[in-house]
Amino acid sequence: MKLTIKNWTGVATWRWVANDDNCGICRMPFDGCCPDCKLPGDDCPLVWGQCSHCFHMHCIVKWLQSQPVNQQCPMCRQGWKFNNK
Amino acid sequence: MSLKPRRVDFNQTWGAIRDTIKGVITLDHVPRPIWNDRFSDVYSLCVAHPEPMADRLYAETKQYLIDHVSKLLVQVQEEGEQSLIKSYYHYWSQYSVGSQYLHSLYLYLNQQHIRTQKMSDAEIIYGSSDSSGGEQMEIGELALEVWQSGMIAPLGQRLVKLLLEAIGEDRTQKTCSIPIDAVRGTILSFVEVQGYKKKGQLQLYQELFEEPFLKESGEHFKRDAAKLLQEKNVSLYMERVKAKIEEELLRARRFLHASSLSKVSQRCETHMVAEHLEFLYSECTAMVQGERKKDLSNMYDLLKSVQNAMVLLIDTVLDHIKTQGLAAIGNIDTENIHITFVENMLGVYKKYKLLIQEVFKSDQNFMGALDRACSSVINHKFGKPVCKSPEFLAKYCDALLRKSSKGISDSEVDEKLAESITIFKYIDDKDVFQKFYSRMLAKRLIHQQTQSMDAEEAMINRLKQACGYEFTSKLHRMFTDMSVSADLNNKFNAFLKQDNIDLGINFSIYVLQAGAWPLGQTVTTPFTYPRQLEKSVQMFENFYHNRFNGRKLTWLHNLCQAELKLGHLKKSYLVTMQTFQMATLLLFEHTDSLTFREIKESLQLTSEQYHRYAASLIDCKLLIADSTELKPETILRLNMEYNNKRTKFRINAAVQKESPQEIEQTMNSVEEDRKMYLQAAIVRIMKSRKILKHNALIQEVYAQSKVSFAPSIQLIKKCIESLIDKQYIERTPHSSEEYSYVA
Repeated sequence: MKLTIKNWTGVATWRWVANDDNCGICRMPFDGCCPDCKLPGDDCPLVWGQCSHCFHMHCIVKWLQSQPVNQQCPMCRQGWKFNNK
Repeated sequence: MSLKPRRVDFNQTWGAIRDTIKGVITLDHVPRPIWNDRFSDVYSLCVAHPEPMADRLYAETKQYLIDHVSKLLVQVQEEGEQSLIKSYYHYWSQYSVGSQYLHSLYLYLNQQHIRTQKMSDAEIIYGSSDSSGGEQMEIGELALEVWQSGMIAPLGQRLVKLLLEAIGEDRTQKTCSIPIDAVRGTILSFVEVQGYKKKGQLQLYQELFEEPFLKESGEHFKRDAAKLLQEKNVSLYMERVKAKIEEELLRARRFLHASSLSKVSQRCETHMVAEHLEFLYSECTAMVQGERKKDLSNMYDLLKSVQNAMVLLIDTVLDHIKTQGLAAIGNIDTENIHITFVENMLGVYKKYKLLIQEVFKSDQNFMGALDRACSSVINHKFGKPVCKSPEFLAKYCDALLRKSSKGISDSEVDEKLAESITIFKYIDDKDVFQKFYSRMLAKRLIHQQTQSMDAEEAMINRLKQACGYEFTSKLHRMFTDMSVSADLNNKFNAFLKQDNIDLGINFSIYVLQAGAWPLGQTVTTPFTYPRQLEKSVQMFENFYHNRFNGRKLTWLHNLCQAELKLGHLKKSYLVTMQTFQMATLLLFEHTDSLTFREIKESLQLTSEQYHRYAASLIDCKLLIADSTELKPETILRLNMEYNNKRTKFRINAAVQKESPQEIEQTMNSVEEDRKMYLQAAIVRIMKSRKILKHNALIQEVYAQSKVSFAPSIQLIKKCIESLIDKQYIERTPHSSEEYSYVA
């Protein structure tokens, strides 16, 4: 072996991949954060429902808390279930 | 004896009293029993039966005092004009003490008879009708009043003339033919004689003596100044004037009442400084340019008390600092321009700060001038389209925080960074600095070139202090990412261990938030991983996607780096390099020569950017090319004769250097950010104000953005236009100079 890699330090960036650009509740871009947060990133995560719709976690939690019965996805009106795959 | 009121023979008793007060007022010997008897005589007259005789006693006493003072007046004059002051003072000292004793002798009269008639304090303060209408005074006061009317009134003018002559003599000959005591005592007698009054105690002194004195002194100062001016030497003049003021104050302290001190020095300043400002200013520029500390300090002391006289000096100092500053940073043409810039500028700043502390006693006005001068120097563009200072300063910080800065101790680095904040505060385009700084910080972090995390954090905290949380939030997020990545690496390694996977290499990774890092719009280039890396990358991507749902990873190959062991040479070397460089070298594993085209094809890299990497490998002689210019047909081969003293080194430095394109890119992104910032500010303001005039809006926007940069009016106007286009705001129908918010 003439040449061997001893160490390798990779650098990568991550961004959300959602099926939409904006959060359906607050209409802010997913690259940004929900209106209550100051900084995007790990502190303001996205969540997916089983219906495959995606929101800022803070937004959907707030929505669900305001719905005493029939907790539904605000986009498709199916019952909301977190997709924890 | 009995205290009971009884019938008294006034004439007989008064006779006795008169004899005694003659002794008292001339400070003759009065035996104790006689004093006691007279004391009770005063009492018995005051309470005499059937009619108290207090009023009569008062009238007789007054008459007696008047006669006595007029006798003294004759005596004072007897000894001639020459010794007028001396004898006046002699009799005054006697009389003033004697009258105090007399006051005690008449204690009963004073307290029981007169004080009851007197006006209360309140009546005096609130100005009850008439205060002098033949009212009776306490005996001590009466005596002083009699002295004033019987002695000072006829003699005053003559005394004052003599006093002024005496002081004049003291000024010119430094000696005084009349004893200082007498002069001072005479002057102060004008105050003491009115000492009993509740207000206007100084009136007589001021009118009789002080006014002519100040006038006379003024004349004297004028003459003196004229004399000094003939020498036409400003620094000598200032020195003399300072000494003169000192001297006059000392003289005033020796002769005059304390209330006159400030008036004397003021008079002196008016005639010797304020009236000759032109003359003083004539050499101001030369003094400042020569930095003649002593002269400047004299000048400051003299001008300080003259209103508005300092402005010209301040302006001159400001201009001088500015010139010096521009000279210090204007024509730097060295390799390390950023270091020279910061250090020269700090040199200028420190030098003049010290000068101001020393010479101008840290006067706020001069500190302000220093600030203005520094900020205009630092933000000077030297004919270029943008000011380079923010960039230089950021580079300077980078040089300090980088690992390569050798031979400087941690505390020194810390100190230098703290000083650089001084310059930072003067920079107008703080946002430009922030852009450069964050780019450099990103590179330091990713390439593991930070000298110490503590120093980094201390610096960021300093910036935060100077500019607020918003300014450094992105920098903080970069730090967070570093620690999150360290955590992620641990978890990944644990996962590998658990599943017994061997990647064949030491693998570590930084996963960064896309928005927080100033990495530009890195075009994700197609790139085929070398075979040795494929597994690692694949494993990590799987690991990451399992762990974090809904996230997409983008590799930034131009930032990845590798440590490669070279086994084909006589010695084995450990070389740190960039991934593209590594990939290129790895192609030579099974062959010794390849054409440039072949390399590009196997790595699937686009030509322009790859050019740089390949060239860098040839530059550091690890590869040999058969033509100086890289063409597709150029054949590259491994340099089997490679030799380096060090066995461990890095070759990616050249690639990491800021290219001109990057700098331009930075400037462009600053421009974009500013537009966004201004638009946000305009919308915020309009949302709260609803309707606002054009100028008021511009002002508010300017005030809000001043923290991080100084926007041009033109840029603000452009932003307003674009917001109108986007229908956030509109012009009000009746005026084109007014905007309203569109909800």
